[in-house]
Amino acid sequence: MPTDMTVNGEARTSARDPLTPLIDVLRDEFHLTGAKPVCREGFCGACTVLVDGEPTVSCLTPVAMAGDCDVVTIEGLSSCGLTDIQSRLEQGDAVQCGMCFPGMVMTLSHFLAHTPQPNRDEVRAALTGNICRCTGYERIVEAALAVAGGRAEGRR
Amino acid sequence: MTPSAHPSLYVAPSLEDALNALAERGADGAPLAGGTWIMRAPLRHEAKSPAFVGLGRVAGFGRIEVHDDHVIIGAGVTHARLAEALRDIPDLQGLAAAAGRSANPAVRRAATVGGNLCTAGFAAADLVPALLCLEAEVEIASRAGVQRLSLEAFLAARATLEPGRLLTQVHALRSSARSAHARLPLRKAGDYPVAILSMAVMRDDAGRVVRARVAVGSVEAVARRWPALEAALTGPPLDAASAERAATDLAGEFDGREGVDAPGWYRVAVLPALARRAVAALL
Repeated sequence: MPTDMTVNGEARTSARDPLTPLIDVLRDEFHLTGAKPVCREGFCGACTVLVDGEPTVSCLTPVAMAGDCDVVTIEGLSSCGLTDIQSRLEQGDAVQCGMCFPGMVMTLSHFLAHTPQPNRDEVRAALTGNICRCTGYERIVEAALAVAGGRAEGRR
Repeated sequence: MTPSAHPSLYVAPSLEDALNALAERGADGAPLAGGTWIMRAPLRHEAKSPAFVGLGRVAGFGRIEVHDDHVIIGAGVTHARLAEALRDIPDLQGLAAAAGRSANPAVRRAATVGGNLCTAGFAAADLVPALLCLEAEVEIASRAGVQRLSLEAFLAARATLEPGRLLTQVHALRSSARSAHARLPLRKAGDYPVAILSMAVMRDDAGRVVRARVAVGSVEAVARRWPALEAALTGPPLDAASAERAATDLAGEFDGREGVDAPGWYRVAVLPALARRAVAALL
């Protein structure tokens, strides 16, 4: 039975088996290869996408459970260049191998939207489910704090 | 294996529809809630059921009702929602901590209360010991009606329940007790806990313990109460060092399960420290 959903603002239909992990539909059927299937256990976060606005590990989400949902992948996060967190990650030279970054960006985008002025511990807690195999966490945390700091500057 | 006549996953829109679908599928069928355990079956080299019935859209499964003397938690409530809903309720802090510190944020947004209680193969389920301390009961629905069981009775029966039955909600008691949840993951967060100790303690005006409930998870295959430690804690005022000593004396009652993350003896050996931490959180 086909599964209808909206992906990055476009109506899409998957013909894959309903128990197929959403990550495989996004990558193999819709050719959106930003999200990465790494651990397939929900531990590493590299497959994180937004489903109805919530960061979701797409490796553990059957595609049928995303039916009629609004899915946003890293490719659809912005229609006008880099977002604030992406710019800060680039400026801070935080990207190393890049494998974890689509998931990191999705998680941090949601986190910063809901926690405008986080402290360091809150950023670290938010990233519990996003593993960087290059262990470059400090620059990632700094980039998130810089986004929050930039917002505070803008309000002065 | 003969292919099932049913799709691999059918997303049910209502409880009635889910019960009918499970009954029709019989032994081929199984419920799927958040999917965080079932979707990893290939990594455990386990076969998936041929015909899952998805519960994510069942109306009412996501409800949380907090009353003066009890709380009702729908089976579809996620760990994240449960932690948020109980955040400011003093007697339910153990359950709130169990829900809010398990796994990682994305898994907590998907994994459900029902899934946590029903997954017989998951020894490290955080909610089970926390709910044992609250003397929780579960409702099991089928086309024949609704049955209410103590959580302990459910844990003993869950692997052999007849097809077509579904855990729909959890009832937990509220009281003047205070509760805490101590867990030891190998990393600070994100891993399964090696051992879990939940505690709910009621004290009199002089600070003496008049009732204690202690439950241990992840050490053995199924979480269970620890009556001997409960008895040792009852009577004198609550004291972390005394609790650690009592737990040290009594820990031999547990037969730790072997695992790739930790040997059985280690799970038992950390229980006294967890007892100390749980008590310290209550002082």
